[in-house]
Parts: sequence; structure tokens; C-alpha cells
Amino acid sequence: MPKAWVVVYSITDFITIGMLLTVVAMNSLKRMESCLRAYTINSLLLATLMAVSAFYLDAAHLYIAAAVTLASKGVVIPFLLRKVVRDLKITHEVEPNINTPLSLVITSVLVVIVYSSLSKGIFIEGFTENTLKVSISIILISLFTMITRKKAVTQVIGLLLMENGLFLAGFSLTYGMSTIIELGVVFDVLMGAIILGVFLSQIKKTFIDLDLDKLTTLKG
Amino acid sequence: MNNFQFILILLLSPLAQGIIKKIKALMQGRRGAPLFQPYYDLARLFRKDMVIPRTASWIFHAAPYVVFASVLTASTLVPVFYSGGLSAYFKTGGFLGAGDIIVIIYTLALGRFFLALGGLDAGTAFGGEGSSREMTVAILVEPSMMLAIFTAAVASGSTNIGAVAAFGSFFFSPAHVLALAAFFIAVVAETGRIPVDNPDTHLELTMIHEGMLLEYSGKYLALLEWAHYMKQMLLFTLAADLFFPYGIAGAGAGFGIAAAAGFWTIKMLVLCFGMAFVESSRAKIRFFQLPSLLGAAFVLSALSIITFIMTGK
Repeated sequence: MPKAWVVVYSITDFITIGMLLTVVAMNSLKRMESCLRAYTINSLLLATLMAVSAFYLDAAHLYIAAAVTLASKGVVIPFLLRKVVRDLKITHEVEPNINTPLSLVITSVLVVIVYSSLSKGIFIEGFTENTLKVSISIILISLFTMITRKKAVTQVIGLLLMENGLFLAGFSLTYGMSTIIELGVVFDVLMGAIILGVFLSQIKKTFIDLDLDKLTTLKG
Repeated sequence: MNNFQFILILLLSPLAQGIIKKIKALMQGRRGAPLFQPYYDLARLFRKDMVIPRTASWIFHAAPYVVFASVLTASTLVPVFYSGGLSAYFKTGGFLGAGDIIVIIYTLALGRFFLALGGLDAGTAFGGEGSSREMTVAILVEPSMMLAIFTAAVASGSTNIGAVAAFGSFFFSPAHVLALAAFFIAVVAETGRIPVDNPDTHLELTMIHEGMLLEYSGKYLALLEWAHYMKQMLLFTLAADLFFPYGIAGAGAGFGIAAAAGFWTIKMLVLCFGMAFVESSRAKIRFFQLPSLLGAAFVLSALSIITFIMTGK
């Protein structure tokens, strides 16, 4: 079979592990630009995974989904967020609630929990058998990132990464839903990113700072 | 032949250092010292007289020999281009001339311990500073290095480095790539290279390895420097054996000695180039930032072993 190399070289495992690494890296990155780059790489890997699967499964609609993912999550959303970050003149995250080494250790503990709890009970055959574990780890780690970070922008990136994880989970279980649903989801995320971008500017305008701890003080 | 491979490490390690320095110089737009400069340095140092601090005890005199001997012992246990072969491994009940990886790592740790003692014994502030930093780094590096090694060991079912190298006809798997990344960071920290320590300066605020050697001169300094070069090449060889052993003689594919030596040379050059690239493109990070870098290495190696155990690749 000419397509056997996808399985032989465990391409899907490499791509999903790459996605997991970008999410883990988010916990140690301080510069906003680097966080955005991590998100971009994550989205590009997601699009690659879908393209490879489309090739392997001979599924034309997955090519469309891959292209849409590439365009929206790989290009438009990073562009929008980068613009917001530059306009707001924030370059660095303040010290997160949990320091970097500890949060890195916590992420690996999260991965262990996910892997060990999913190793029994859920059986997925085929070339995406490990994808579900990775995607659930990605969801949990991004949630953890959202909890530990103080700046609104990093929390938005955490949310978007979580969405990538959800997308990956759905993909690993269904090999892609019908195109119209994929399009709807992507459109939702795009709208979400735009609204959050506006929202960030408003927070900055009202509170001078994007540190969300300061939102507890009342403003008239 | 098994037992004489270490001579390559002994003799070629200064050359590896020279190559790294040369590549670094070229990357920075300088012409750089000649490739064989480390040999000239060592030869000159061996001819020089020594200055011994008045406060020094026998530890100061013993440390260079212990350091050199421990690195030399460790390198006798590592297969450089001939792994002994899996069949021989099972026939002889595990003894190949190649040693256990854990023994290798902790033999190196013995040398490090004595180096730190030697730094303290000289009685200067800088020596103590260097020793304390070296031990701090060691504590942080050790777990990630051991976990990365265990990934390769679990994959091949043995902690004998010869068996790991002979087993390795596998394709690259995600777990091995993660472990290699973690191991590379650990090697950078162990050899005192740039994101962790700057080998080219004697700036008192930053030096780690140089701080411990500051009071040594003449033959002792030559021994310590040589041991340092050898340790670097030993760790490179270890990385090659563990993570990309393709082309080693005595493995299943049956490579000849000449081909294996050629593969080994190429691997060493690639690693030297990678090291020089990292050194030229990164800035040294603050000492108190080190835990996050080495923490990242730890997470990489932990992820690699989790991935291997859970997914089998």
C-alpha cells in the first residue's frame, strides 16, 4: 500500500506530540509574541494532521477542513491577535500565579493522569489511536494555562488552544464531521477571537492594565 | 577491539572541542583559532610549572587525577563504533565490555564531586561559588538526563549501553525525539555551554566550570581541561548510542568497522555543529532562570517516557 508510510513512520503521533509540546511550552513562555507563535505552530500542526488524514483516508472534505483551519487558525486569528498585542503595547506576561518550573511539573502530571485514565475503557483503532489522549491532555493543560496566567491576552490564547484540543478530540473520534459543521465551528472561533480582541481593548481602555486581578476593583 | 574504543575518545576529544570553537568563530564572522589549538594548549600546559595555593590539602592534588580517571573509566564502558552485538550480549549473560548506563552516569558524577571539592579546597571565594553552582546545576540536570536515558533503556529492554545501541534499528519514534531533546539540554548543562555557562569568559558573576578551575595551573589544569573535553565527547557518543545508533557495528544490520567509524564521525560532527549553533544563537541565561530551562528538559524527558510507556512508540 503506497500510503503505508503514514503509519510506518507514525506521522500522526509526531504531529500530535508536537501539538502537545507547543501547549506545554505555553507554560514557560513569557513574551506575548512567543505565546502567539506557539499558538500559530499548534494550529499549523492541526491543519497538517488533517491534511495527512485526508490523504490517508482519501477524504476530500477533510482537505477543505484542513484548508479552512489553516486559513482561519493559522493565519487570520494569529494576525488579529498580533495586531491587538501591538496596539495594546503589552510585551510580557507578569509573573504567573504558579511559577514556571512548578507549572511545568503540573502539566506533566496532568498528562500522566490523562494517559493512565484513558488507557483502559476507550478503544480507538487505526492510525489515530493515540490522538484522543493527546487532545484531552491539550484541553486540560490549556485550561491550566488559563488559570495560572494573569494577563487577558494569554488567557485568550489559552482558550484558543483549548478549542484546538477540542477540535482534535472531535476529529480523532469522527475523522471529521461534515463540512458545514466544520465551517460553522471555525466561523464561531473566528468571531470569538474578534470579539475577544475588541474586549481586550476595552479592558485596557477602562482599567489601563490588562491584569485581570485588577478587575475586582469597582469602576463607575 | 571492544575494549580499546575509548582511545578514540581519549585522543579525539580535543579535536572535537577545536571543531566546535572553529564553527562558532565562523558563525560569528571571525577566523578563529586553528583546529588543533586545544592540543597545543594541552601540550603547553603539561610543560608548565604549577602554582599550588598555600591552603590546599591533599584533595587539591587528588582532584585532577580522580576527575580524569573517572571520565576515562566511563569512556571505557561506552561503545563508540562497535556495540558488541545483541547475540553476544545474550551469550555472555550481559557482559560485552560495554557497561551499564547508570554506572557511566554516576562514574561521571564521582568526577564532578571531586572537581567541586577541588574548587572548594583552593580556598578562594570564586572556587566555592563555582562549586556551589555546579552542584546546583547537577541536581537539576540529573533527573532529566536519567529519565531521557530510561526512555531508550525501556525501548530496548536493557540498561546496558551496548545492548541499547545494538538494539537500535528502530525508526525514529516520538518518544525518542523528545528524549533526545531533553538529553541535548542536559548535555549543554553538563558540558557548561552557553545557555547555562559561558566557557569562554572568566567573569566572576557568571562562571561555573571556570570558577572551579581558577586556582589550577600547569599539569593539573591540563588534566582537568582534557577531562572536560573527554566528558563532552563521551556525552555526545552516549547521545549517538542511545538515540540514533543507526550504523553502529555489531548491530543487526551488520555494518563493517570502517562504515561504523564513518557513521560515528558524521554523528559527532552533527552534534558539534548543533552545539556551536546553539552557542552562537542563544544568550546566556541568568543563573536563577536555569530551573525553568532544566525544568523544561525534565518535562520533555518525562513526556517522552510517558509517551513510550503508554503508546509503545
